[in-house]
Amino acid sequence: MDDTGKFVLQIEGLKKSFGKYKVLTDVSYSLPKGEIAAIIGPNGAGKTTFFNLITGYHHVDGGTVHFLDRNITNWPRHRIARAGVSRAFQVSNIYPRLTTYENVRQAILAQKKRTLNIFTPAHRLARKNTLDLLELTGLLSHGDTLAGILSQGDKKKLELALALAGKPELLLLDEPTAGMSSEETHETMELVKRLNREIGLSILFTEHDISVIFGYARKLSVLYQGMVIAEGTPEGVRKNEEAQRCYLGEEV
Amino acid sequence: MKNKYLFPVILFLLAVALPFIVPEFWVHVLTEILIMGLFAASFNMIFGYMGQLSFGHAAYYGVGAYTTGLLMVKANVPLLVCLPLSMLSAGLCAAVLGYFCVKLRGIYFAILTMAFGQLVYYIIFQWYSFTGGDNGLQGIVPPAFLGKAANPYYFFTLIVVTLGMIALWIISESPFGYTMRAIRDNAERTEFIGINVQRYMHLNFIIAAVFAGLAGALWGPFNRSVAPDLCSWQHSGMPVFMTVMGGPFNFLGPLIGSAIYTLLMAFVTSFTEYWPMVSGIVIIVVVLVMPGGLLGLLRDRLPFLRQNVGRAKETNG
Repeated sequence: MDDTGKFVLQIEGLKKSFGKYKVLTDVSYSLPKGEIAAIIGPNGAGKTTFFNLITGYHHVDGGTVHFLDRNITNWPRHRIARAGVSRAFQVSNIYPRLTTYENVRQAILAQKKRTLNIFTPAHRLARKNTLDLLELTGLLSHGDTLAGILSQGDKKKLELALALAGKPELLLLDEPTAGMSSEETHETMELVKRLNREIGLSILFTEHDISVIFGYARKLSVLYQGMVIAEGTPEGVRKNEEAQRCYLGEEV
Repeated sequence: MKNKYLFPVILFLLAVALPFIVPEFWVHVLTEILIMGLFAASFNMIFGYMGQLSFGHAAYYGVGAYTTGLLMVKANVPLLVCLPLSMLSAGLCAAVLGYFCVKLRGIYFAILTMAFGQLVYYIIFQWYSFTGGDNGLQGIVPPAFLGKAANPYYFFTLIVVTLGMIALWIISESPFGYTMRAIRDNAERTEFIGINVQRYMHLNFIIAAVFAGLAGALWGPFNRSVAPDLCSWQHSGMPVFMTVMGGPFNFLGPLIGSAIYTLLMAFVTSFTEYWPMVSGIVIIVVVLVMPGGLLGLLRDRLPFLRQNVGRAKETNG
């Protein structure tokens, strides 16, 4: 691939079916390094499946997924995560019986490859990194709280913290603000924007909140019935007739 | 001394003092409590920490027991050499069988562990020329320096079991131990933070078997014999009962469960042969009334005990 150096993610001809139901028919997509982009589309368009295929959650039926210079198609999930692709889930996917602090520490220890250590007490390790990440994601005051009893908004923040703990080069956020108050939404997306600006983290997110999509994404792709039907800058997509007809409608 | 160590230290001091107070019969019972306690604690590395029910854990206990028995009877190998070799043989056995078990989860994991447990049981049962078949192995005598009285072997067992429990405690509090909790809570998420879940489960399976093998190694010289029943699925049920009784979400729960189960069995069998029925009723009551086991109940009902038997040692259950 000639353009590999420019892109953090390059997908070609991605296909996925569940039985007779074709979820993704032929999706090609490229994400330049350091970009912050959104994938939008109605429910059932295949957004989460698209993420699932990139991160190894589902087996790819056809097509390829390149991350940086590597073909990661159908790699095991843990290997894709280790390669530098982190993910926050649509429905919070945390460790409910560990504290918020222990959740984040676990992800940090995994990133540092310290999880095979059987001699050192875990509480002595990664303390500063854990506290820093809790502070960054606004969870410092909830460090001792069992993750399972956090509010929905805080669970989503923890979800983001777990993804960031992996020190990724590509961050996939599946509806990162779902269940958050407007204030939490603003805080979270500002953090995402800051991470993108300050450390050049490439970010791809799905979202239904139009204000979030147009407020933060610099590149927008509309997924409809398993295909990308429109792509470009938010302004360009806003004017695209097919995108308006299939998803954006009168809302914009 | 930190409060979280108070409860285990009291237990240890009690274990040191009891043989000087109780008759010799009860010293035998105490020895059995310790051996089965270590067996149950090793089982709980899979059940309480990893979240999978093994119904074949006795296989590794039996392999440990037979390794020591065979080495002592057929080759006169000293007991102190037999202990690490028993751990090694149980670990090797688990490395092979566990490789297949950890590919499965839930009920399928339980069934496969039981099937492999029965496989080990039948190999030992049928291999007369080597294992003695259903006759087992007799004449496994503790070394001369431990004498013939109950107390020396009890104290030897106490030292070995204490060291074993400390090792398990260190592992359970390590990043590896927390990775097991993470896998128990959410194996899927654990893969997405970059951990090869199957590989870690396999390692934990081996660690659990190594300590089951150590417990098994202590059994032969204590009982002067070993038999294939040590590997049977009924014997695999004992650490399950003990752990549920004591509390699967507390590090010391299996040891406490072993004390309850073994003491109750010694008491009940002294006046009736219907121990299995009594144990069944006890399990039903425990599951219905205190699903967190005795230590779970104490922690919930007696707030002043929380610091001592509570979060410090629990598996965050």
